[in-house]
Amino acid sequence: MSQPTYREAISEALWEELERDENVFLLGEDIGLGGGAFYVTKGFQERFGPDRIVDTPLSEAGFSGAAIGAALAGMRPVVEFQFADFVTEAFKMIVDFAAGNHYRQMGPVPVVFRLPAAAIASAGPFHSQNPEPWFFSTPGLKIVAPTTAYDAKGMLKAAIRDDNPVLFLEYKKLYNYPLGDLPEALRPPVPTEDYTVPFGEAKILREGEDISLITFGTTVLQALEAADILAREGTECEVIDLRTILPFDKEAIIESAEKTGKLLFLHEARKRGGIAAEFASIVAEEAFEFLDAPIRRVGAIDTPVPLSPPLEKAYLPDTEKVTAALRELAAY
Amino acid sequence: MSDTTAEKISIPASREDLARLDFFEDLKDRYLSVEGLEARWHPIDRDGCAPDRETCLRLHHFISLTRAVEETLDSAFRAGEVPGTAFFGRGNEAASVASADLLREDEWLVPMHRNCGAHLAKGHPAASIMAQYFGRDGGPARGREGNFHMGYRPKKIAQLISHIGTMVPIAAGVAWAEKARGEGRAVLNFIGDGGTSSGDFHEGLNFAAVHRLPLVVIIDNNQYAYKTLPKEQFACESLVLKAPGYGVPGFLIDGTDALLVRKICGEALDRARAGGGPTLIESVTLRSVGHSVYDKYTDYVDMDHFKKWSEKRDPVKRFDAFLIERGIATEDDLGESHARARQEAEAARKEALKSPFPDPGLIEDDVYAP
Repeated sequence: MSQPTYREAISEALWEELERDENVFLLGEDIGLGGGAFYVTKGFQERFGPDRIVDTPLSEAGFSGAAIGAALAGMRPVVEFQFADFVTEAFKMIVDFAAGNHYRQMGPVPVVFRLPAAAIASAGPFHSQNPEPWFFSTPGLKIVAPTTAYDAKGMLKAAIRDDNPVLFLEYKKLYNYPLGDLPEALRPPVPTEDYTVPFGEAKILREGEDISLITFGTTVLQALEAADILAREGTECEVIDLRTILPFDKEAIIESAEKTGKLLFLHEARKRGGIAAEFASIVAEEAFEFLDAPIRRVGAIDTPVPLSPPLEKAYLPDTEKVTAALRELAAY
Repeated sequence: MSDTTAEKISIPASREDLARLDFFEDLKDRYLSVEGLEARWHPIDRDGCAPDRETCLRLHHFISLTRAVEETLDSAFRAGEVPGTAFFGRGNEAASVASADLLREDEWLVPMHRNCGAHLAKGHPAASIMAQYFGRDGGPARGREGNFHMGYRPKKIAQLISHIGTMVPIAAGVAWAEKARGEGRAVLNFIGDGGTSSGDFHEGLNFAAVHRLPLVVIIDNNQYAYKTLPKEQFACESLVLKAPGYGVPGFLIDGTDALLVRKICGEALDRARAGGGPTLIESVTLRSVGHSVYDKYTDYVDMDHFKKWSEKRDPVKRFDAFLIERGIATEDDLGESHARARQEAEAARKEALKSPFPDPGLIEDDVYAP
């Protein structure tokens, strides 16, 4: 067992998969010579050479398409986007080509798109976004959102070995998050031997009987903080990290609804059209009889991501907003 | 490489050749200027173009079959057998067939929606093509897609999506895999004149050029992107002029001449297989039908140009004439050959119509690979 950082875990997964399977190769902007915008592939080109750690021209649609073409021909490419926001450049390649290819009977497309996502301090409208709502209604895609080093490493390996296109959301905020500051629940030790984490299995980070707080991504941190605060006030929240978004663990959501009768869905993406809307609808359709209170959602407000600190603070969900919503639910 | 590139695109054509082809005169109104084009016309050694008798007859068979399959599909559409729409490549049969015919069994073809000829020449059975058109379970997409939005995996034909331009990066990626494997395989990709205006064309070709991938891109410049003329599509004299901008060899050819296509494309594929990187070929044809079966092209097509071009450069008639002139076949032989192609197409139609429609109970199958 070891305790790598989130970034180190991602690097380790890539390195080990490159060693394991010669069909795996990485491509993206500045990943070779420069080691990538976030240094995830630092030192890789020295070991694996420029034919497997490929610096591409600045062309997200072009290199995403090329990755898909290579996957059609039997390779297992892993594409790095510098920021998740730039995935819009490659939307048609992912949504229209890659996601539907197997359904159209044209074979598997084993390609991973690594998307450094979500807000970090004042990164502005084009370096802060959460892309999952744009892709959530696309059949044929898988979307995963690890928040621990353990999940990041195991899910990235699973994604690379998966025969479907996978959007791998990785959270910039977590790359450098000091290990000592992470709550215990987000610090599971990482095995030194090979392992994968299966998709579609949520994890209960904290048990509770009163309110279900269901989330994924960086808002897991706020969820755990808010649950601590509520616990001091006598309300026990069950905090669930969905971990993967497509497929998502419907049973875990419904079981928790049955247990607590009160649900709060939390994500950093905007509330309108955010994927909590789908989860809430499912609960309303399939588990209404368990509910003791209206389903609540907390997400960002419906504006572009503003840059200036007070605006960004007002935009993003935070522990305070989550706590307020939990108190309302507790009092209902 | 740059020396070769310059040489390849700047050798003037012989005046005699041009006069015989009458090519630029016929294109005068389609381009901003044809003066620069003449200087960049690739000189053709006609004798160097003529392959053996067997090859000529094989090409003739597929060119004729392409015409027959498309005409049969057109009549099937009019008879209500085709759900959705239909796209045809009438006018490009020579380029479609003669290029794809050069691919080896284990090499990928990444076609566009007017490359019926390339499908057939690569070995996609006509009955499978028709089953796709008829929305049947027996088509390669098993009813999940229609018309020429199809690939054919047993013969390494990739499926296009409707977003014009996307297939150039996809083809570049297939070529990446081939380069990585190092087994000397090339990839052939088609795009239209309109597609060259898309960002994907640029991104894909640039990627292939930077990494010297074994890719041949044929621009089927059929003089119409739906209803838009070349002069409204690009402001350079010819699309082939884009080639030096990417640092790749470029060729401008008459795409109605099967043997010329065979020669230039064959050299390009060999160069790619040998590690010489990509080639861009502008193959000029005329789309001799509407954009789709719903398009009333007579509303906007210059019918004089259309008529003149078709008289001189209908690929089927032109190849017939060549075979007769060379004594490879007689008029009677060719008449029989065309009749056989029509019978083959009709038999494929009947076979395809026997394939059942897909079962709605299985609609959710195969969204994900297992």
